[in-house]
Amino acid sequence: MNPIIDRAKQTVDQAELYWNRTDRIDVRYANYSMQTITQDQHSSVALRVVSDGKLGTTYGITPDQDGLLEDARTAAAHGDPATFSFAPAADYPEVRTYDGEAASLTSEDLVALCEAAKERIRSKRPDIALAIQARRETFHRIVQTTHGADAESRSTAIRFGISAPIKGAGIRVVKSMASIAPFELNEALVEEFLEWYGWTEKTSTPSTGRLPVILAPEAAFLLHLPLCAGLSADAVQRGTSPLCNRVGEQILSEKLTLVDNALLDGDIDSRAFDDEGVPCQKRAVVEAGVLKGFLVDQRNGAALSVPSTGNARKKALFGEGTELSPNPWPINLETRPGEISYREMIADLDEGLLLTSGMGFHSGNYPQGQFSVQAVGFHIRDGRVVGRLDKTMVSGDIYRDLLSVRAVSREQKGHYIDSMLAVGRAPYILIDELQVAGQ
Amino acid sequence: MKHKLAELVTDLSADYADIRHEENRKIQIVYRGKKLEQITASSTAGGNLRAYAGGGRSIASFSDPASAGSIAKTAVASARLVGASRDTPLRIAPAPVVTDSFLVSPTEDPRSLPLEEKLALAAHYNELILGEADVVSTMTAYDEFYSRRQFINSEGSVVEYDLLNVGIAGFVVTKRGNVVQRIRFAFGGNEDFAGLRGREDDLKRQIVKAQELLDAEPAKAGLFPVILDQSESSLFIHEAFGHLSEADGLQNNPAFRERLQLGTTLAKPILTVTDDSTVPGHPGSYEIDDEGVRGVRTHLITEGVLTGRLHSRETAAEFDEPLSGNMRAVDIQFTPIVRMSNISIEPGESTFDDMVASIDDGYYLVGAKGGQTSGDQFTFGAQWGYRIRNGKLGPMVRDINMSGELFSTLEAISMIGNDRKFGERGGCGKGGGGPMQLNRKSGSGAPHIKIDRVTVGGVG
Repeated sequence: MNPIIDRAKQTVDQAELYWNRTDRIDVRYANYSMQTITQDQHSSVALRVVSDGKLGTTYGITPDQDGLLEDARTAAAHGDPATFSFAPAADYPEVRTYDGEAASLTSEDLVALCEAAKERIRSKRPDIALAIQARRETFHRIVQTTHGADAESRSTAIRFGISAPIKGAGIRVVKSMASIAPFELNEALVEEFLEWYGWTEKTSTPSTGRLPVILAPEAAFLLHLPLCAGLSADAVQRGTSPLCNRVGEQILSEKLTLVDNALLDGDIDSRAFDDEGVPCQKRAVVEAGVLKGFLVDQRNGAALSVPSTGNARKKALFGEGTELSPNPWPINLETRPGEISYREMIADLDEGLLLTSGMGFHSGNYPQGQFSVQAVGFHIRDGRVVGRLDKTMVSGDIYRDLLSVRAVSREQKGHYIDSMLAVGRAPYILIDELQVAGQ
Repeated sequence: MKHKLAELVTDLSADYADIRHEENRKIQIVYRGKKLEQITASSTAGGNLRAYAGGGRSIASFSDPASAGSIAKTAVASARLVGASRDTPLRIAPAPVVTDSFLVSPTEDPRSLPLEEKLALAAHYNELILGEADVVSTMTAYDEFYSRRQFINSEGSVVEYDLLNVGIAGFVVTKRGNVVQRIRFAFGGNEDFAGLRGREDDLKRQIVKAQELLDAEPAKAGLFPVILDQSESSLFIHEAFGHLSEADGLQNNPAFRERLQLGTTLAKPILTVTDDSTVPGHPGSYEIDDEGVRGVRTHLITEGVLTGRLHSRETAAEFDEPLSGNMRAVDIQFTPIVRMSNISIEPGESTFDDMVASIDDGYYLVGAKGGQTSGDQFTFGAQWGYRIRNGKLGPMVRDINMSGELFSTLEAISMIGNDRKFGERGGCGKGGGGPMQLNRKSGSGAPHIKIDRVTVGGVG
């Protein structure tokens, strides 16, 4: 145990130390030209204490920083009564999150990956303003409590992305991938990027009305983020979740199964323990459309008299970091894939949309499942893509419109570079109908 | 510390280097519903370094001062690696050497007030909300951020400056049957605690709107003429136009550089837009940016014509345009990027009544509710709205947003009000080619404006 935990035992009722050290190299190209290399080395801590029965928090750089424990005690002196306990000792599951070769990657290695993409794409499309990003990160995370939780993990993440602005508009075509281990340039990723970029060169505005919509994995936030809000034990115990008292009910199509899989081997989002030091797990939250359970942390678990599910994350809609309070959030959410390809979905439509993103999502009433966004993606007619969407809005309610899903694709992907809203992996999902405002 | 930092940047054998060291103090108090969910007092410190060498640029940041030397040397090697791969070297525009100190001294300094007082004020506003009908939840957050910064560059600039920002913001959640609505509120946004006191009436007005929204119908989608209130107009000019005036966003986008050349007519002569860090008391007010360049007032659009742009030293050199002092970083972990300070639409001559009277079938959108832009495409939410029919305001509507394309929308601005207001709380998210930086020190202001044709989106 870190000495601050021992010191805390003598002066406060309970304490919880969260300590994260990151080492990051980031290489960026813009318009086929290398722009910058960034290297960051940071240490950050959060210390929560319960003193005289009241909760207080402080943040700092290292556990041995002067005044850290005193700041937390000062905050606690004015705090509300603590209604929960910090995590007890536990056995943590084995999950592979670290790759030694990835941890030793240098900026030169990342430059080589970017150069391979640059040469490959420039040979086909020298006319586009290609941006490339490659990032290597290592994380060393510790959570310890005076109740005996003692969790430590090292993890690596390599992220790679290519993007380019669409000519005549500012929207970008983006493709990305990630792994805990080094990888070569993925030809399929490049081919799909080039194909999608080619699709943007004509614009097309669909009819106004209710149309079938293919939700691409890049747009999965339209499903995942309302669900994150609805599944949160915080919203449940406040009574604001639209899923209150609905466990066991059909909330989505029977074709949709969502699993929070923290233990997926070798995935960058997998974790053995959450940000409160509680063991993580693999569990279905929606199975064949039926609500199976909620995402629970220590605080909200105590309020609902249920145990934590290991879903405490220092994360909010627009960010993640030590200075955020733990709250319920999925660890590694995935919508399970189906059996057909998304190209078959496109071929099957007389008219519809392939939605690759939606602008303005966060200003809508998404905690209740509703969205109304400017559609980004492609217009489908007679079984083929006829151009990128122009002047088109799409709106819906996931708890109404995603009860009718025609198909789920076997392709399943995440979105890994600088997307504010990306959460989890998903297949392409063909929704029977959404409200489209076009021509 | 200052001496060590100066040695570090001058000993690097870089063409140019600078370092920004910060000591930051934050206080956050968060009520959710009846519960005090978070009370935090925290201190952090660290540095962020930039090096230009061999025609390239590199950035490094650190929280442990002991690692500053080695990370700085790596940064110079990385900058040379970048430079070696480029056809055209990166360079920076000349800037005056500044050796000065810019420290804040507010009328009522939040740094000298006890935690109890801040807690009591946040609790008071939270309880006021909870006492009202239909309220099922609240979020009331006191946020105080103080940053003492030292900027030192290899040209001899040595600047010490403060950033201090204090505010109370949150939302009111009302519910009746299955309808749940949420309305935001925000006070403060500058360094003065006095602006947070006595705001009960302002808060009650927002609570009433959250109650009224429960009876409102969702907006209908379609193309309509709209009036935007000052808050929504401010959001529009910030998000839709302002981000395209930030030169780092255009730097590597040839199509937009071509389209946004200075001298281009973008709107009717009634539209003038400025960015001004020198006007005191707003969220985006400051003396000097995080690149050691003094802030100025920049005319971005003058009588409908594009006349200015916001710059870093690097983009000013590349565009051969004047420095504007708009490089800012949120905190230690981030390098400065080009950001608006206080962007605003200058007041016009129309009255709100004139605008309403000019619309047969349209909407009045009220209260910024966040937005998103991508290049020339934008989408913004409004907290609530009203239908306009036959020149008169009609019933309230909910779940309303607007979207469109910047250039045609700027051309469609046909009336500008004489009633400009600046928003109290700022806030802006931007990546600028790097990680997302959520900047609380970003202000905006505008009068009511009328846009002849815009896509209104609604759930209905």
